[in-house]
Amino acid sequence: MATTTITKTEKLVGKAMRRQEDPRLITGSATYVDDIQMPGMLHACILRSPHGAANIKSVDIAAALAHPGVAAVYVGKDTEKVGPVPCGASLPGLRVPHHYVLAIDRVYFIGHPVAVVVATDKYIARDAVDLIEVEYETLQAVTDPEKAIGPGAPPVHPEWPDNVAFNYHQEGGDVDTAFAQAEVVVKQRITSQRLIPSSMETRGVVADYNTGDKALTIWSSTQIPHLMRTLVAQMLGAPEHKVRVVTPEVGGGFGSKLNVYAEEALMGFVAMKLGQPVKWIESRRENCMCTIHGRGHVDYFEVAAKKDGTILGIKLKLIQDLGAYHQLLTPAIPTLSVLMMPGLYRCQNVRADIVGAFTNAVPTDAYRGAGRPEATHGIERMVDILAAELKMDPAEIRLKNFIHNDEFPYATGTGLSYDSGNYAAPLHKAMDLIDYHNLREEQRQARSQGRLMGIGLSTYGEICAFGPSPATPAGGWESATVKIEPSGMVTVMTGSSPHGQGEETTFAQITADELGVGIDDVIVLHGDTAIVQYGIGTFGSRGTAVGGTAVYFALQELKKKIKKYGAMLLESEEVSFSDGVCVDHKTGKSVTLAEIAGASHRAMKLPPGTQPGMVETYFWEPPNFAFPFGAHAVVTEVNRETGDIEIKRYVAVDDCGNIINPLIVAGQVHGGVVQGLGQALWEQAVYDDNGQLITGEFMDYAIPRASMIPWIETEHTVTPSPVNPLGVKGVGEAGTIGCSPAVVNSVVDALSTLGVRHIDMPMTPEKIWNLMEGARA
Amino acid sequence: MKISGSYTVPIPRDEAYKLLQDPVILAKCMPGTDHLEKIGEDEYEMKMKMAIASFSGLFTGKVKIADAHPPDNFMLLVEGSGKVGFLKGSGLLNLTPQEGATEVKYEGDVQVGGTIAAVGQRLLESTSKMIIKKFFEKFAEAATQPTT
Repeated sequence: MATTTITKTEKLVGKAMRRQEDPRLITGSATYVDDIQMPGMLHACILRSPHGAANIKSVDIAAALAHPGVAAVYVGKDTEKVGPVPCGASLPGLRVPHHYVLAIDRVYFIGHPVAVVVATDKYIARDAVDLIEVEYETLQAVTDPEKAIGPGAPPVHPEWPDNVAFNYHQEGGDVDTAFAQAEVVVKQRITSQRLIPSSMETRGVVADYNTGDKALTIWSSTQIPHLMRTLVAQMLGAPEHKVRVVTPEVGGGFGSKLNVYAEEALMGFVAMKLGQPVKWIESRRENCMCTIHGRGHVDYFEVAAKKDGTILGIKLKLIQDLGAYHQLLTPAIPTLSVLMMPGLYRCQNVRADIVGAFTNAVPTDAYRGAGRPEATHGIERMVDILAAELKMDPAEIRLKNFIHNDEFPYATGTGLSYDSGNYAAPLHKAMDLIDYHNLREEQRQARSQGRLMGIGLSTYGEICAFGPSPATPAGGWESATVKIEPSGMVTVMTGSSPHGQGEETTFAQITADELGVGIDDVIVLHGDTAIVQYGIGTFGSRGTAVGGTAVYFALQELKKKIKKYGAMLLESEEVSFSDGVCVDHKTGKSVTLAEIAGASHRAMKLPPGTQPGMVETYFWEPPNFAFPFGAHAVVTEVNRETGDIEIKRYVAVDDCGNIINPLIVAGQVHGGVVQGLGQALWEQAVYDDNGQLITGEFMDYAIPRASMIPWIETEHTVTPSPVNPLGVKGVGEAGTIGCSPAVVNSVVDALSTLGVRHIDMPMTPEKIWNLMEGARA
Repeated sequence: MKISGSYTVPIPRDEAYKLLQDPVILAKCMPGTDHLEKIGEDEYEMKMKMAIASFSGLFTGKVKIADAHPPDNFMLLVEGSGKVGFLKGSGLLNLTPQEGATEVKYEGDVQVGGTIAAVGQRLLESTSKMIIKKFFEKFAEAATQPTT
């Protein structure tokens, strides 16, 4: 059989390679949390509140406990000392409600955990949940964030009757002067609706406590195994070194698993109490109801400009629907929107005020893009509204306001330093690809035939590669260990915890190039705190830009050691190392990496001041974020009779710096665009006035199906980031961030002849039809 | 959710008013009613099977008659809960005589919670209307049949 090892001189970085992780994923040999089976394993099911707000008068667990097969039932007072569920974000004056793992005397949102039943199988556990009698005294709920902070709203938390969790103000430049000098001011209320992240695999936890070792192991479908270990140990009062968190395969997270939930600590508590392993797997309805939601913005934008389209100032009043509690990063998410609010434009005069509103709903938190899609949607809608007001072309107004290429690094009015950029390049490329100028002519013809055709652009920027530690709640560095085994095979251990981003492949590509080995000679391990050195995790498009850079630096350290051993073995003063071979150019003698690795482990002789073995660990602290950008262009046509929106063309030109694997980058953009389309066109988490979630499963919550997705044309420009030696910027969230404003701009453009100026998402056929009917009336 | 409507039953108003509070008739006419028992003055215990969207469930609860102004109108208060959630409702029934028949106008508010809200809310209005329509159809039938 032919070896799969590629010739060692072939460079793999930049090559479209199939993913190393895919064979196990598509042949069913991957292990997810629910695949874990253990002798004596118990199963947990959680009783959840059917009310948006209620006092708990009594909980009677007698019948559930008496049910055959039930091992234990715990209620709020049993777990009072566990927790609280942590909030990692801090803001001045932030009100943080105590978030118990099980509700004690009051429930604050639909799905709030009230009790847990542990039984010998999951069906018994589920049946026994129905035997628990809870007497509730229902209270008035409030789920609309604007109503919540308005007069007369019922208090979510009685101690804070105004429902305001925090006020946050940020200002740069001279906003008042900018608005005083403005020749035109445009204003718009723009919402970014609550979304349900809907990862394909729901959350799940297995906990096992070894009573002899007093050691707890938790398997969890998470993006952050090490942070979870630290935080769950705190919640349980367990010593951190005796807690191990294992992240097996993770079937999607999109930020919803960048969190520590009540259930992780709760299962740890159960396992420690009973001394038996316990499993809890979240149902889809629980996932809709109890896993964080994304977005939830009401934004009031004002943009001041000159008549020639020059943007002078931006004001934003942002009302963030927080839900009933703060999950790990809840209050921090809207502050990212503020940082990103000037977009790609040369506008220093910015003012933002955030009101964080408590509501009787599941908390919001990071969801693909986390704060940046909301900001981008806002500014990109506002620029189109301004262009319409000034009767300017949307492309022209953007080109006029872009930060110039010679201004990087560019200090924004919100305190960021954009690393590098060439903002006009992807816009020009997208316009060329979609044939923008001819399209406008085509549109004129379509309009003359009474057809509603729209052309929409968005030019987005994003904060990626989270991030410098001072700017993050838990440290923004990442770690890597690279080991060369005695045979010359290579093991990489990354502290970032990939869950679909393909880093087992991209990190192997980087390693293979640096060491001159084949991709199959490298294995990338992650997601087990007992194996991998402390790390931060995967979120905020940081995996490759921060985690990959840590791998790169560990490899540089390792190469120094390889050369020391090579020089010793070749009895040479100076050797070079490339393509997997150390060469003494004077003598022409060489020694291979495998020979060096063997010699370093056998250690018959050591180079001076050098340890045996071949392992290096590197913790890399990024000096800045990285700032990718791009342009999306969308052609739509609206059906006059039905309000249906057809996407005729979708072009995405992204600049994520250097590209390590074009196949993976395309996949990330495709997935991101699909989630952006979901928000633009279909998805919305809806609570009724009583706090009931009425989009509680996929019959009512409209996530996109494959048949609903247009052909996505992707292209790139390449502007390397100077922040890291790989020159990469991050691409995990780009598609989502660029998508929704481009689609809405396109549909508003289509309906502009009817006098439509703005449409809030999702743009369902019903909404569009009503708009058209209104325009006819 | 607000619901309202009207239905004409082919019996005089006094009789209609009386029959609308007769547990035997109500149990017979309410679709899915398993059991209806008088537990107090103007108060009944009820078990009812209901199917909405992709699931069905058994509700147990109470029906209460309040603000009775015979033979003009009365309030009906319903409260039930089951494995699939809870429902609460109140309705005002107005009876107007119409040439030997009676027009029954109803106006009410229904609240549901739990799984039933997450899954079935979309279909709640149509299901409620269907249940009410079926009720009056059966009621008209039962009211005009000789008692057995």
